[in-house]
Amino acid sequence: MNRLLNKTLVYYSFSAIIILLLSAPFIYYTLEKLYKDDVDEAILLRSDEFTRNNEPTLKITDIPTWNRFNRDTRILPDTVKSKPKNNIIQQVFLDTLVPEWEPYRVLYKDVSIQGKPFVLMIRLNLVESEDLIRTIVWIYLGILFVLLLVIFFITLFISNKLWYPFHDTLKKIEQFSIESNQMPAFKKTGIKEFNQLNKSLTKLIQQTLQSFDLQKVFIQNASHELQTPLAIFQSKLDLLMQDSHLQEQQLNIVHSLYESVSKLKRINKNLLLLAKIENNQFIETSSISIKEIIEEVIPYFSEQAIGKNITIHTELKNNLTIQCNKTLIEILIHNLFLNAVRHNILNGSIYINTENNRFTIINSGINAPLDTSIIFERFKKGSKNPKSTGLGLAIVKEICIRNGWQIDYKFKNGMHCFILVF
Amino acid sequence: MKILIIEDEQELANNIATYLKEQNYQCELALNYHEAVLKIEIYEYDCILLDLMLPDGEGLQLLEILRNQSKQHGIIIISAKNTVEAKITGLQLGADDYLAKPFHLSELGARIFSVIRRNHFGSSNHIHLNELEIDLLAKTAKVKEHTVPLTKKEFDLLLFLIGNKNKTISKAALAEHLSGDMADMLDNYDFVYSHIKNLKKKLAEAGCNDYIKTTYGMGYKWES
Repeated sequence: MNRLLNKTLVYYSFSAIIILLLSAPFIYYTLEKLYKDDVDEAILLRSDEFTRNNEPTLKITDIPTWNRFNRDTRILPDTVKSKPKNNIIQQVFLDTLVPEWEPYRVLYKDVSIQGKPFVLMIRLNLVESEDLIRTIVWIYLGILFVLLLVIFFITLFISNKLWYPFHDTLKKIEQFSIESNQMPAFKKTGIKEFNQLNKSLTKLIQQTLQSFDLQKVFIQNASHELQTPLAIFQSKLDLLMQDSHLQEQQLNIVHSLYESVSKLKRINKNLLLLAKIENNQFIETSSISIKEIIEEVIPYFSEQAIGKNITIHTELKNNLTIQCNKTLIEILIHNLFLNAVRHNILNGSIYINTENNRFTIINSGINAPLDTSIIFERFKKGSKNPKSTGLGLAIVKEICIRNGWQIDYKFKNGMHCFILVF
Repeated sequence: MKILIIEDEQELANNIATYLKEQNYQCELALNYHEAVLKIEIYEYDCILLDLMLPDGEGLQLLEILRNQSKQHGIIIISAKNTVEAKITGLQLGADDYLAKPFHLSELGARIFSVIRRNHFGSSNHIHLNELEIDLLAKTAKVKEHTVPLTKKEFDLLLFLIGNKNKTISKAALAEHLSGDMADMLDNYDFVYSHIKNLKKKLAEAGCNDYIKTTYGMGYKWES
């Protein structure tokens, strides 16, 4: 992914190069023309000088001497017929010293010395166009380099200074979590667009938080309201059960109603618990030994495990102690434990161990990995177990989120493995 | 034994009353604050069941009135609020016990039984049931002067059964009673069976008659 800075740099550099490339021929032709015009002017000036100062006084016998000392203003015999007269033309001459063909601007002109016709040739050496191009290229490269350098630093400056409020906002949104219920405080900036962005974000987050709150309140109210009818339902069943006239068939019905009400109660309690965790109603923390909690609950779960003849192995390598709410960590471990028992198989096993800041619970079960994308979701059950409320692992996840712990699931060697890192 | 049920949910109050009447308790209902105040001031009760969540929070006021009376009644709060804080507050304000809704009637029966025992019999708290003698303070059971070696859970179970004499108690209620805070999560009540089996065996070995009966598929009953 490209950073905004890099993108800007690339665009600027491309434009600079293209503009420079396009302007190069134009500059070259302009310079060349200017130069030629200047040279032509000088030739004309010399021609005028010759007409005015030399032509009247020069003798024919002086011509060889003249020609010997004037390389570029020479008097030639009137035999040069092929050259156009009185027009400055471009011609190459061999430079005998180098030796190299050099471009010249040349003027041929008819003159008369002591009444005899001669041809005057005035020439001026031009810079080779190769040299000119080379010079221009070097200058351009220099300009390009300086330009890119300037663009780079300006973009860097803009990115850091101008875009600072944007990056600040970005960072705050990244850190924002709906569970924390903390409205991010955006910095006020002098830039309209950023202010607009911050304002829109604030509004959006406020609305989200509001509906999240409403949802939490709704769940809590709903489960609260359910308590009383559930209590009545339960007590009616308790009364019905006392009826000694009930036949086996009716008892069966009462029994299944009883199971249903038990499950309803469990779901309701778990929903309430989730709502309470979300509402941060477990704030008191103390130093908790994980080992103690595990040792405390093992008798209960051993009882639960008897039915399936499950063996529980514990290996508590260190006395892991963490700072947290006692109720929550107990619920967390109970849920993981219960999960391992509930979804276990006949003659299965459970391995519990702590190592460093890691608590792992491994259990046998169905021989296929669970869908990791949904196991921690509410009411998403990994199994068809009718006793399961589908909330146990959601509660585990919620407690982990609240405390900044990491919970992971792995399927290894046919075993289901939950790893909790404090 | 007289019990006052202060509960604004009439249906629930009736159910509680029906259950307790069969236990030979005399029950009276108070469906709102004023009825409750009236009855508290005139009559004497052995145990008062108080719903703290009466409208307008009057439950707490009632608790205060009850505390200021120097009567010898036990108070059990029944509330839809199931938090440690609510329990502590209730107990600090003078309640003897706190039961969160929804509850099993058998659980309520057992709690009333123990609150009344505690209030009436103070230091020498012994229950005699035919050949069985239970010391509530020492938490021991004896049959014809021989101590029955019960575990804590088995003793709890025994008390629970006796507290709901001649009532069928569901396995779920027993399981929840035995597992306390963990109860909300347990879904396998099979362990109740093994505890009952052990209890029956130990009582029989000590020479006690078999009073614990199994109700088909549902639960257990102490018949005597």
